[in-house]
Amino acid sequence: MIKRDTSSLDALRPCFEGFVPSMVATCAPDGTPNVTYVSQVHYVDAAHVALTYQFFSKTRENVLANPHASILVVDPDTGAQHRLQAQYLRTETSGPLFESMKAKLAGIASHTGMTGVFRLLGSDVYRVDAVEAVPGPELQRPPARRNFLAAVRAACERLSGCDTLDRLLDEALTCVERAFDIRHSMILMLDAGRRSLYIVATRGYATSGIGSEIPLGRGVIGVAARECTPIRIPHATAEYGYGRALRESAARSGLAGLLDTEIAFPGLADPGSQLAVPIVVCRRMIGVLYVESGEERRFTYDDEDALTAVASQIGAAIALLQVIESQEEHPTVAATRPAPSGAPLVVRHFAVNDCVFLGDEYLIKGVAGAIFWKLARDCVSYGRTEFTNRELRLDASIRLPDVSDNLEARLVLLQRRLAERAAGVTIEKTGRGRFRLAVSRPLQLQEVASG
Amino acid sequence: MSDPLLDPEDAAFVAGGVTISLASRDDACRASVGRALGCRVAPDRSRVTLFLARAPNVPLLADLARSGAVSACFSQPSTHRTIQLKGADAAIGPIDARDLTLMRVQIDAKVAELVPLGYDEALVRNVFSGEPDDIVAVTFTPTSAFMQTPGPRAGKPLHP
Repeated sequence: MIKRDTSSLDALRPCFEGFVPSMVATCAPDGTPNVTYVSQVHYVDAAHVALTYQFFSKTRENVLANPHASILVVDPDTGAQHRLQAQYLRTETSGPLFESMKAKLAGIASHTGMTGVFRLLGSDVYRVDAVEAVPGPELQRPPARRNFLAAVRAACERLSGCDTLDRLLDEALTCVERAFDIRHSMILMLDAGRRSLYIVATRGYATSGIGSEIPLGRGVIGVAARECTPIRIPHATAEYGYGRALRESAARSGLAGLLDTEIAFPGLADPGSQLAVPIVVCRRMIGVLYVESGEERRFTYDDEDALTAVASQIGAAIALLQVIESQEEHPTVAATRPAPSGAPLVVRHFAVNDCVFLGDEYLIKGVAGAIFWKLARDCVSYGRTEFTNRELRLDASIRLPDVSDNLEARLVLLQRRLAERAAGVTIEKTGRGRFRLAVSRPLQLQEVASG
Repeated sequence: MSDPLLDPEDAAFVAGGVTISLASRDDACRASVGRALGCRVAPDRSRVTLFLARAPNVPLLADLARSGAVSACFSQPSTHRTIQLKGADAAIGPIDARDLTLMRVQIDAKVAELVPLGYDEALVRNVFSGEPDDIVAVTFTPTSAFMQTPGPRAGKPLHP
């Protein structure tokens, strides 16, 4: 028998993708063995795996009395088999491990026609004491699509060269596309006050979806954010997707008009693979990097690791740029601009939720809506067009949820929504911590009071 | 002797090319797991014989030989129908040419079952492989049988 150092569990990760069912043998205290198939042996770390606890089974009854288990796993590429000698430690019924296994199981259930039958009650965590390579023939492993370390390095180098948040967000998605050949991606930022995430950048969709919101806990992105853990689903599953309602609201808004303030989620209708990675700074989740593909089993443990590293680089860069933008440069000489002319642009503000419409078209709501309303009022009342990030941060009328809120991300969101609306008013960056409200048509403000 | 636990339909199922995993245990009740390549049921259905390769199952075969305790799980991937048989008198013996033919037919049946589910034929044949002169027979008398199809009846006796 070949005993390997348990650190080699890292090298067996293809076996833990859940493509080929694994087998688990246990033994009752009276010496009666039991064997069963398990949908998922989840890689926890180099010394631990977790099994799905779905029904109160003989396996569970056995390990509660006698923790020893023997697990047979198969590499789906080579057919190589390994036997793990493991000890049951504990069951987790909530938290990051549970949620990431629950999401993966939903994908497996849907793939195998077991939706509604496979249901995760707990994650049974085992310590792996020995790994034995089972003798037998092996197929040649298909050539690797890429070297993940080289791709991570390339991405980190590109990100470190970004000096504005706007550029950083676009560069991050360019990296995801070029270094990892991932065609559909987006970055969402946390709105702690509304317990939701809003899209600030997307790549690869018919519509940008900038400003679209996902509630915390909803679908693969919302769960990754709430639990602050990567969620990866290798098969199509409706359970974690963003259904028709969320995607079609834009189409509706064209007809129903005024009060529809939903921006449609731009994601794929039926992704075969989904991966959402939290963007974390100093242990605080500030956003999510999300990628998807029409192909099943597109993202592996390696993709998850690589994008987690890239997301942490994105997080660090966002935090640094936030500090830089809060210390504005001396103003540059304002360029002389032609006075606004032509038909006035009606700007309506709904005080109840800081929702703003430009003409009949929805622009934005929430904090970004409050920012825009302040800028528009200052512009109309005092003729001001030059602003600093710092004054917005201190302005009570904007009601930033807390001091650590990412104001710069709200400004990028607002800037991008204005650019997409192309209604004659835009935001232009004029230097570090400074920007200009560029207005080509006269603004006509209408406040709609609450109630 | 009492009636066999398996009815004719169960017997046809376990010997019909479904996937088979099995387990035994050592003196300290530590389980060992392995995979069988095929199955034969005695005409009176009182005994079940599993065919497995020796090389990949060395610890399991040692435990079977010593304890006789065995559990075997038979599963049809396309339907998830699964049953488990347990026994206490497992004995290891040689196979004959007829068994080898039966085993090959059952491996082909697994290929026919698994390829439509998206598994590569080369992968299936690799996982269910064994050199003819390395195959042994494990024979036991099932003393209990359980339904193991995922769902509310999982774990219940097959014929209550």
